[in-house]
Amino acid sequence: MLEIKDLVKSYGSGEPVLKGLNFSTEGKNLTAVIGSSGAGKSTMLRSINRLVTADSGQIIFEGVDLLKLQGKALQNARRQIGMIFQAYNLVDRLTVMENVLSGRLGYVPFLQGAFRKFPQDDIDHAYQLLKRVGLSQYVNKRCDELSGGERQRVGVARALMQNPRILLADEPTASLDPKTSELIMELIANLTEELHLPVLINLHNVAQAKYYAARIVGLRNGVMVFDGKPDELTDEHLEKIYTSKDELSEQLNPEMETAK
Amino acid sequence: MSGTSSTVSADQHYVWHKPHFIESLWVRIGVIILSVVYLVYALSTLEIDFQRVARGIPRAMQIFSGAIPPDFAARGSLIVSGFIESIQITFLATFVGVLLSIPFGFMAARNVTILPVYGLGRAIVIVARSLHPVVLGVLFVKAVGFGAVAGVLTLLIYTIGFVGKLIAEAVEEIKYGQIEAIRSTGAGYFTILIYAVFPQIMPRLIGLTMYQLDINLRASAVIGLVGAGGIGSTLNSAFGRYDYGTASAILIVMIGLILVAETISGKLRRFTR
Repeated sequence: MLEIKDLVKSYGSGEPVLKGLNFSTEGKNLTAVIGSSGAGKSTMLRSINRLVTADSGQIIFEGVDLLKLQGKALQNARRQIGMIFQAYNLVDRLTVMENVLSGRLGYVPFLQGAFRKFPQDDIDHAYQLLKRVGLSQYVNKRCDELSGGERQRVGVARALMQNPRILLADEPTASLDPKTSELIMELIANLTEELHLPVLINLHNVAQAKYYAARIVGLRNGVMVFDGKPDELTDEHLEKIYTSKDELSEQLNPEMETAK
Repeated sequence: MSGTSSTVSADQHYVWHKPHFIESLWVRIGVIILSVVYLVYALSTLEIDFQRVARGIPRAMQIFSGAIPPDFAARGSLIVSGFIESIQITFLATFVGVLLSIPFGFMAARNVTILPVYGLGRAIVIVARSLHPVVLGVLFVKAVGFGAVAGVLTLLIYTIGFVGKLIAEAVEEIKYGQIEAIRSTGAGYFTILIYAVFPQIMPRLIGLTMYQLDINLRASAVIGLVGAGGIGSTLNSAFGRYDYGTASAILIVMIGLILVAETISGKLRRFTR
């Protein structure tokens, strides 16, 4: 369903961030991508929906090479790929409802979007999603008045509003406190399981990855160094994945981190 | 970190002074000498004729005594219609000018356009900004004749130059993550502009419009002096008739109107934050 072949990406003239990455997924499950900062996790995800343009390689999504698409065809591919961001990336000055409905912008004509005249089905769907993420009381509240956890719930609703075929999540909980972070992870895991939606999620926290993912992929310096089930991920694997001693000890002894 | 930094000893002395604005001593002295020499030269060529200044004083006294008390009554209806015309020129030019500034401002913002469009947008904004409203006023009075149309056109260009440039700056400062999010929903270019960029510049745009109303009201009086309609024209003809009473009445109303405009626009701008 999604297959990444020999993906290479470098920013400017520096060393490539991705050095011939290969990855493929068929299932409808949650795959966690772990690795140090700079390992290429974000670049991998952002290459898929073309927020970043890869230098070479292929990304085959439902039989189409995404890297070859342009214009309208690219927009049509993007609307089938939902994305949740670390910094939420909501349009702050718009209301919760406008942000959720923005998930339909790839489907409605320009003027309908500009004047917020969305089809009745979309409005119903948006209300259902907001109820499901627990924000139905905030429909007309501006997003800059929400807390971090509430904002990410809107982010989740916006991504699902696209009726995506796959969901990308780039460290969706990294800006949140530990308790809220768990709640959001649970929400994403439960919702995507209900919808049989495959998820590719970058996680900073290995414990979370082991708990929620059906499959874990470890990146280091732009190549895959681990690919397996959560219970196959050993401390030796983590030593291979994490570059610095600090990061390694943070992942091996998570309770010490929380004690700090 | 521990042992040596625990005590701050004063047994060593350091010399420090604020670095000079111009580092090189010779350049520094040169700039000062050149400035003084030019100032002296410029003053010496001005040919201030003190006798003429002295002869002018009684004439100035005559104008001032004619201006007191201000005469609101004699040409009252002219004053009122002049101000009404000025206010109409101001509102029309500001409204249409801001509407036109939005596309030009977006074109002149580097982060949302391709290079050729950016070049064109910048060129339009720079040309609109480069001419002072008085100069524009003279040009438009020659082009379309005396009256309010010349005034509206003048302030329209003036508004595009100012508001267009500031919109471009506002667009260049937006948060890019919001654009990425809307782009990843599959939205097209113009949808992204409307949905992700426009909300971010909206408060600045409202503030700018208020400010520009205030500026245009002042400018409408000035361009009237060169024939572009409004109260400036009324003032000009009052001076032409040596009718200093009416002239001072106009000046007083003008000051009052601008104070009111400034207060209202200031309040509205605070309200939109």
